[in-house]
Amino acid sequence: MFTNPEVPLESLPGADDLDWHPLHPRFVRRLQLGALLRVLVIGAIGAAAYSLMKAGDSAAMGRGADALLPFALAAFGLFAASVLVWPVIAVPRRGYVVREKDVLYKTGVLWRSVKAVPFNRVQHTKIDSGLLDRHFGLANLSVFPAGAGGHKIRGLGADTAERLRVYVSERIEAEAIEPGDDGRSPPPDPAAEAGATPDSGPAADEG
Amino acid sequence: MSPSESGAWRRTSPFAILFFIGRTIKSFTRSLIQLIATFGALAVLIERNPQVALAIPVGIAAIVAAGVLQYWFFRFRIEEDRIHIHQGVVRRTALDLPFDRVQGINVERSLIDRILGLVTVSLDTAGSATAEGQLPSVTSELADDLRTRIRAHRPAKVADDIGAGDVPAAPADGVARESSARADSAGQVLLELGAGDIVRIGLANRNLVVAAAFLGIFGQSVDFAADTLRPILESAGDAFAGAGVLVQALVVTGFVLLGLAIVLLGALLRYHGFTLWREGTAYRTRAGLLTQREVVVETRKIQQLTLSHNLILRLFRRHRLRALPAALLPNQGGADTPGLQLAEVLEVPLLQGPEAEDLRTRLFGREGGALSLLPRSPGFRRVSPHYIRALTLRISVTTAFVALPFLIPLLQSNAGTHLADAVQGLLGETPLLGAGSPGTVALGVFLWWLVVIPPAALIGWVRWRRQGYLHDGDGLASRSGFVGRKVDAFLFRKAQSVEVTQSPLQSRKDLATLHVRLACGQVVVPYLDLGEASWLRDHILYRVESSRRRWH
Repeated sequence: MFTNPEVPLESLPGADDLDWHPLHPRFVRRLQLGALLRVLVIGAIGAAAYSLMKAGDSAAMGRGADALLPFALAAFGLFAASVLVWPVIAVPRRGYVVREKDVLYKTGVLWRSVKAVPFNRVQHTKIDSGLLDRHFGLANLSVFPAGAGGHKIRGLGADTAERLRVYVSERIEAEAIEPGDDGRSPPPDPAAEAGATPDSGPAADEG
Repeated sequence: MSPSESGAWRRTSPFAILFFIGRTIKSFTRSLIQLIATFGALAVLIERNPQVALAIPVGIAAIVAAGVLQYWFFRFRIEEDRIHIHQGVVRRTALDLPFDRVQGINVERSLIDRILGLVTVSLDTAGSATAEGQLPSVTSELADDLRTRIRAHRPAKVADDIGAGDVPAAPADGVARESSARADSAGQVLLELGAGDIVRIGLANRNLVVAAAFLGIFGQSVDFAADTLRPILESAGDAFAGAGVLVQALVVTGFVLLGLAIVLLGALLRYHGFTLWREGTAYRTRAGLLTQREVVVETRKIQQLTLSHNLILRLFRRHRLRALPAALLPNQGGADTPGLQLAEVLEVPLLQGPEAEDLRTRLFGREGGALSLLPRSPGFRRVSPHYIRALTLRISVTTAFVALPFLIPLLQSNAGTHLADAVQGLLGETPLLGAGSPGTVALGVFLWWLVVIPPAALIGWVRWRRQGYLHDGDGLASRSGFVGRKVDAFLFRKAQSVEVTQSPLQSRKDLATLHVRLACGQVVVPYLDLGEASWLRDHILYRVESSRRRWH
C-alpha cells in the first residue's frame, strides 16, 4: 500500500540533526526567581496556617499541628528544592531552529517533543513579556497556525524575539503568495496583520 | 420585486420578527442556570407580592417590541461584490462583507419558514461572529441569487484547485473544467436516505445504548413503577400467579418502547429526507422534518474525513461520515479576541463502505488514492505492541487512583484488618501491618492495582488491535477505537503543524508518537517506530511547505 512519493527518501530534508539554538542563558535565573516567589507564597500560607492552628483554643489541634510539622517541612523542602533545581535541568533541553520554511521547537526532559510549524500555515505571531521577563530582558514568541497547536517559545532575549518575529513575518508573507490569488482573498490578510499586530501592541516596546 | 436588485437598502420579511424574538429570548437565557435563577427569583417575588405577576405580560410585550424594533432596524444591501448588513437598535453595527470572504452559505428553514417559502441564510466567514452574517426570513430566490453571486465572485483561477487536480492545471484546462463544473451545477444527487435508514440511525443512537445499559444495571429500580401500576392491573385482570413478574416485564417493555420512540422520532426530525448532492465544487446536504437544515461545504475547505461506526452501526454494516472544515479560524485581529466561529460540518449519518470510499475519492480528488476510510482495509498497519504495555499501565494506574477515596476507608475498617491478618498468616508477624496502618493501606492499594492489571491489559490489547495507520505520499489515515471504530483521514498538505513526542518508555524502545494538527483538530498515531515517525514528520513538512495551494 505504501507508495514512494516523487522525492527520494534520502533527499528529504530531515529535522533530526539540526543545530538547536539554546534559549537565553538568563532564562534559568528568571524561572528560578519565579519559582522562588511561588515557594515564598506557599511557605507564607503554610506558616500562617500553622500559627492559626497553634493559636486556636483547641489543644488537640495544636498537638496535631506539631505532629504534622516535620512532614510538612520535609514536603515543603523537597518541593522547594525541586522547583528551584528543575529549570537548570529543563532549560538546556529546550531549543528552537528557524529554517527557511518552518520553525521547530523542542522541549521536555522525560517526555520529549519536537514540533514544527511551517511558515505558510502561520496565521499570526505574538510577542509578550511579563514583569519578570522584562526584568531579565526576556520575551516570549508565539506562533499561531489555524486551529490549536502553535509554538510558544519562552525565554528568548528581547531583541532575539523581535528579530525572530520580523523574520517569521517576512517568511509568512513570502510563503503566503499563491498563484491564482488576486490579493483580495483571505490568506494574505492574516499574514499582513500578523506583521502589524505585535508592533502596535505594548508588549513588544516595553521590553 | 426582483430578488437581485442591486444597491437598494432593504428589510427582510416581517416574519423575521419571530426570528429576532427567538434570538432575544436565547440571549437572555444563555445558560440553563440563568434561566432557573430568573424563574426562581420571579416565583419568590410573585409569592411575596402577587402584583409582580403583572410584570410577566409587560416583559413579554417588551420582548416582542424588541423583536419588532430589531426587525425595523435590520437592513441589508446587496452589491456587485459585497453585502452590507446594518442592524442593532441601541448598539448599531454595520457589517460590510465582501463575497470572497464568505466561506460557505448555510440555509435553515423552520416550519413557519417552509410554509411561507422563506429561508434563514447564514454566511460563514473566517472572521466575524456568525450571528452578524445572518439574514433571517428572506425569500429562497434571494438565497439562491446570493449563492450564485458568491460563487461567481470567487476568483476564477483559485477555482481550479477546487477541482480534483493534484498538479495545478494549465489555465485553459482550468477554465474548461470550471465551465464543465458549471454545466452540472444543477446538482448530482449522490445519496438519499429512506425510511429504513432513518430507523437504523435511530437504533444506533448512542443514547439508546447508554439508556439500555442503564436500564440493565438499575433494572431493580423500576420496581417502584411496577408498584404503582400493580393495583390497577390486579383489579383489572384478577390475581394470578406471577402477576408481579408480568407487571415488571410490562414496565420494562414500556420503557424500552418509549426510548425507541424517542430516538426514532429524533432521527426522523433531524434526518428525514436526507439528501447529499454535489453542486459544482461544493457538497450540499439537506435534511429535517420540521426545520430543514441545509449545509454547503466547498470541497477545498474540507480538512479531514472521519468515518466511524459504533456497535450497532457495525451490526448494520453501515458507517457515519463527517467531513470537517476548519473548525476554529482565529479572528483576523488576533487569537485573544472572541469571535471564533464554528463552521458547519458536512455529515452523512449513514452510508455503506463503498459509498464512503466513493465520497473519499470525490472529496480528496486525485490525491491520497491509496488511502482508505474502511477500518477493515488490509492496508492498515499495526503500531508497536509496546502500546499495550503503555495503555495497561495508564489504565490500571488511573483506575487505582480513582478508587483511592473508596479503598482507603475500606482498608481502615474491618476489611483492612482481615487483609492484614491474612497476609500475616502467610508471612508471619510484621509490625508494619497493624489495623488501619499505612502499611495495610499501601498493601491493599497495591493488591487492588494487581487485580486491575488483567482487565486493563485486555482493554489495552483490544485498543491496540483497533489502532492502525495507513499512508501514501499524499495523506494519512489513522484508525482507532475500542467498541466501535473510527478512521480519520487527511491530506498532508492540509496539516498546520507536526509534532513528534517520546515518553520515557518510547525513548528506550526507539518509538515515538506522531501528532498532526489540522485546522479542525488533531490526528494522533501512537507508538510508531521513531524512524517512521521522523520520516512522516519530514515528509508532511515537505508536502506542506512545497504546496502552493490554498488549504482552505
